[in-house]
Amino acid sequence: MTETAVLILCGLIAGPVVGGLVSGLDRILTARMQSRIGPPLLQPFFDVVKLLAKEPLVVNVWQAFCAYCYIAAASIALVLFFLQSDLLLIFFVQAVGAVFLVVGALSSTSPYSQIGAHRELLQILSYEPLLVLVVVGFYLETGSFKLTDIYAWPHPMLLKLPFLFIVLGYALTIKLRKSPFDLSTCHHAHQELVKGLLTDYSGPFLALTEIGHWFEVVLMLGVCTLFWATSWIGMAVLLAVTYFLEVLVDNVTSRMNWRWMLSYVWGVGLTLSLVNLIWLHQG
Amino acid sequence: MDIRAMLTVILVMAPFGGAILCIVLGSSKAIRSAIVLATGAVLIVSALMLAPLVPFRLSAATFLGVDLHRIIQVADVALLLIILYYGFKHRQLTVIVLAALQLGLTIYLEGFLVKGPLPVERIFCDHLSLMMVLIISIVGSIICFQAIPYMENHEHHYHVMRSRQPRFFFVMLLFLGGMNGLVLFDDLVFMYFFFEMTTLCSFLLIGHDRTTIATRNALRALWMNSVGGAAFILGIIAAYHETGSLGLQKILTPWLAGSGVYLLALALLCLAAFVKAAQFPFQSWLLGAMVAPTPVSALLHSSTMVKVGVYMALRLAPGFTGTLLSQSVAVFGAFSFLAGAALAVGQSNGKKVLAYSTISNLGLIFACTGLNTAESMIAAMLLLAFHAVVKAMLFLSVGAIEQHIESRDIEDMRGLYAVMPLTALITVSGVIMMIMPPFGVLLSKWMAMEAAAQNLYVIVMVALGSALTVIYWARWAGTLMSDPFAGRFRPEHQPALTWLALGPLCIGSALLSVGAPWLYLRMIAPMMMGPYSPAYAFKAGGLENAYGTFAILPLSVVATLGLVVAAVALKRAFRAKIVSPYLSGLQTGEPSMFRGPMNQSVKAEAKNYYLDTIFGEARLTDWVNLGGGILLTLILGGAL
Amino acid sequence: MQGIKRFINQLRAKSPWLLHFDCGSCNGCDIEILACLTPVYDVERFGIIHVGNPFHADLLLTSGTVNHRNKKVLANLYSQMPSPKIVVAIGACGLSGGIFREAYNVVGGIDKVIPVDVYVPGCPPKPEAIIDGVVLGLGKLQAPQERNGERKEA
Repeated sequence: MTETAVLILCGLIAGPVVGGLVSGLDRILTARMQSRIGPPLLQPFFDVVKLLAKEPLVVNVWQAFCAYCYIAAASIALVLFFLQSDLLLIFFVQAVGAVFLVVGALSSTSPYSQIGAHRELLQILSYEPLLVLVVVGFYLETGSFKLTDIYAWPHPMLLKLPFLFIVLGYALTIKLRKSPFDLSTCHHAHQELVKGLLTDYSGPFLALTEIGHWFEVVLMLGVCTLFWATSWIGMAVLLAVTYFLEVLVDNVTSRMNWRWMLSYVWGVGLTLSLVNLIWLHQG
Repeated sequence: MDIRAMLTVILVMAPFGGAILCIVLGSSKAIRSAIVLATGAVLIVSALMLAPLVPFRLSAATFLGVDLHRIIQVADVALLLIILYYGFKHRQLTVIVLAALQLGLTIYLEGFLVKGPLPVERIFCDHLSLMMVLIISIVGSIICFQAIPYMENHEHHYHVMRSRQPRFFFVMLLFLGGMNGLVLFDDLVFMYFFFEMTTLCSFLLIGHDRTTIATRNALRALWMNSVGGAAFILGIIAAYHETGSLGLQKILTPWLAGSGVYLLALALLCLAAFVKAAQFPFQSWLLGAMVAPTPVSALLHSSTMVKVGVYMALRLAPGFTGTLLSQSVAVFGAFSFLAGAALAVGQSNGKKVLAYSTISNLGLIFACTGLNTAESMIAAMLLLAFHAVVKAMLFLSVGAIEQHIESRDIEDMRGLYAVMPLTALITVSGVIMMIMPPFGVLLSKWMAMEAAAQNLYVIVMVALGSALTVIYWARWAGTLMSDPFAGRFRPEHQPALTWLALGPLCIGSALLSVGAPWLYLRMIAPMMMGPYSPAYAFKAGGLENAYGTFAILPLSVVATLGLVVAAVALKRAFRAKIVSPYLSGLQTGEPSMFRGPMNQSVKAEAKNYYLDTIFGEARLTDWVNLGGGILLTLILGGAL
Repeated sequence: MQGIKRFINQLRAKSPWLLHFDCGSCNGCDIEILACLTPVYDVERFGIIHVGNPFHADLLLTSGTVNHRNKKVLANLYSQMPSPKIVVAIGACGLSGGIFREAYNVVGGIDKVIPVDVYVPGCPPKPEAIIDGVVLGLGKLQAPQERNGERKEA
């Protein structure tokens, strides 16, 4: 019982703390790649606290509701991950948050929000099947959807699911809102859609979406760790390399349109996952 | 008389009685409403009383002293003659040919093939039947209640001179009785009779408005369902030929699975099921049926009639475990799931979205049936129940919306929250129940995915379809709430019976989701015998098996907590400063207006993405029909 | 309580997000503003982010003369910024209307429409001057009680 409580608490604290640090690191790394110095490591926390302390302005009261639902779903998903629950279930709970974020954006009549929301839906459409197939890959390898069993698996998963790891990389890039898939909204300056999905969220509500995003980032990185769950060093190296590659890809690619995203991600992603899954199925 | 027999008789005959009363006495509104309400009440009470008594088998040899089989024989021929009459009346060659074919086959079966005294143990009610009876009696009755104010409005709107409501409610009630009969009887000939009865009822109800398009679509439904009927009777003949029995439970003997003719019989019965459930390539009758008044769509085309198809497949499933037929049914179902979801994405017509979503969900149920494991069967049955309740609610909401704004287009529902807040909220909660945990539809989808993970074809299609599903629902929910300066909440005026239908359905489906573990333990676990050993254990408030766990109750508690927090935030947001959305600083202060050229006020508009270059009907339908056709051929051919 | 407030005010100064609005300048000032964002000056070091949207902004950087057409836009953008917020007027035109001051269509400087906290003169001002103006504005974010007092010149 106490163990469960501790795990829940861990999830609730680790989300914002680790997520914020990762985001700070990300900004520094990005700045260095652009031969700048970049902000302090704790900059994301400054931003969020500042936003929380701003005057609440709402465009539609349901936006506030949706922002809270988003962060609730994102944190529940991460807590479930820490409790080592069912991977597919975690994935579904995570999807709830994504949907609420979209509904919140759609509830504003601003065309920027609306188009951003639809692009976000297309992003969901792109990565959701891939995530399901990654989870199926784990199942085919370990015979279980439960994280307890997957973490207990004695062999590093990456050796058996190399293609699915690449596929997860696509989903990760979309989830982290990195180029070339940062269509709906992104962290860098303003884009052609103002701030897309997040245009009409402001002040505390924007802060909530940001914290929710951190929860999601930590969750996705947690899924990455499953690929080398046998040793802590392996996990850390895998995470570091993956995240570095994400930032690199973000900096060397440009934003593409949704048609390209959908056809590319589905085309390459589905092919790779099918190859890997068939291999698992036969082997 | 045994109470079980009595309840069975009431469940089947009470609607018939109500129907006849409706047409005889129903010209006054008060009497008609009273009859419908009374029949509904009787049905609900009897269905609930039946619940603790299952499972049971009963013999039914005679009714009022006449041989029951003889009655059905005569009624069957009469029914086919009526269909034939409509065929001639509308000069539809396909209907005539199919009806004549069925008539011939029926006479052949009854007159020449079936020999000797038939076993009379004809009533079979297990938990699956009970579930169907509960859905038909409770959800069906609620829909009929809502139809009372709806039809009043409908006729007012179309300026109907002489009310045709007596006939309308006659058919609606007749249909309820037919459905109950279909799920309570075990005798294939009886099932066939009720199957044909639902076909005829749906024809009459789709064509109710007597417009050209309604008649055309009704005829399409009639001929397509007649294909199903013909497959059904052929299946019966083949099954009788092989097993010498007409009892459905009797013919499902797995040791016969090797026999080609036997599998062909099952495949033909499955084909009938696919037609009834409007699977591709037979989807067009269901889409056409959306011209009918919305209670009809809700009753026939979402929560009950199309469920006959999946009910039959679930019944037949033990007969084809481990065969190629089973696998192809799974792939076919998964294909339907994907194709239905894809086509729904391309639709802006709300009722069509609901129709495609129905096809898609039924496809998933078929996929689960075809996978034919304990987990997948549980998923199928749960999905059957939850989908019926939630979809009925969504249909009724759309009906209420449609009468209010006189459009069923999603674009016209933009910002509906400002116009009819309560209905909009109910619709949004319906959408949430369709796609989000911890609600039942998603619970069953989770079970389906975990059960399908072994089958690569199925899981890939289900994964893609499930993502598409999220798109069209989320888009719709967001559009309903898209209202500038939303703040006020004043429930709109609706007839009491509309609220009486929507309210219980909304609250009921939420409670049913929370009660999913008990639904499973009480209703489904007892069914899981023999090859389907009970798969899930009820542990720590969730369902768990060897490879998966879904914490229903903890999640429900946490979700409720989250909802409360969000609701408090919502309440506080009412006090926050409400500003205009970002319109590049050009907003004028009026909702969604900005200052355009020459200081003119221009409305800022953004329409939804429907992606019809990818998912449009015109683009996909042919391919999808082709795919469905090929898979069907595989199913029928593979059986041999 | 006081401590928390002071802490938050300090954080406000560490994370100023800018909205840049050009009322109708010759783009000289705007080019200089954008130059601040280049790696040469790298204002992200101070947590400064250039946002495109008043809902996310803490500082409004405006340049150019206000005319009858765009004064409502300026006021709208200002009203959509959540408090606390700072306005920095940049360049001769933004300060007073500049050489267009007497034109028939010109209202005047930014402060004719919205309250301005910091004035940055120059035609155009150098990036250093702009950064200095922003830093002055940050001081006001940090100590909001001073906001109603004197306006400072950079």
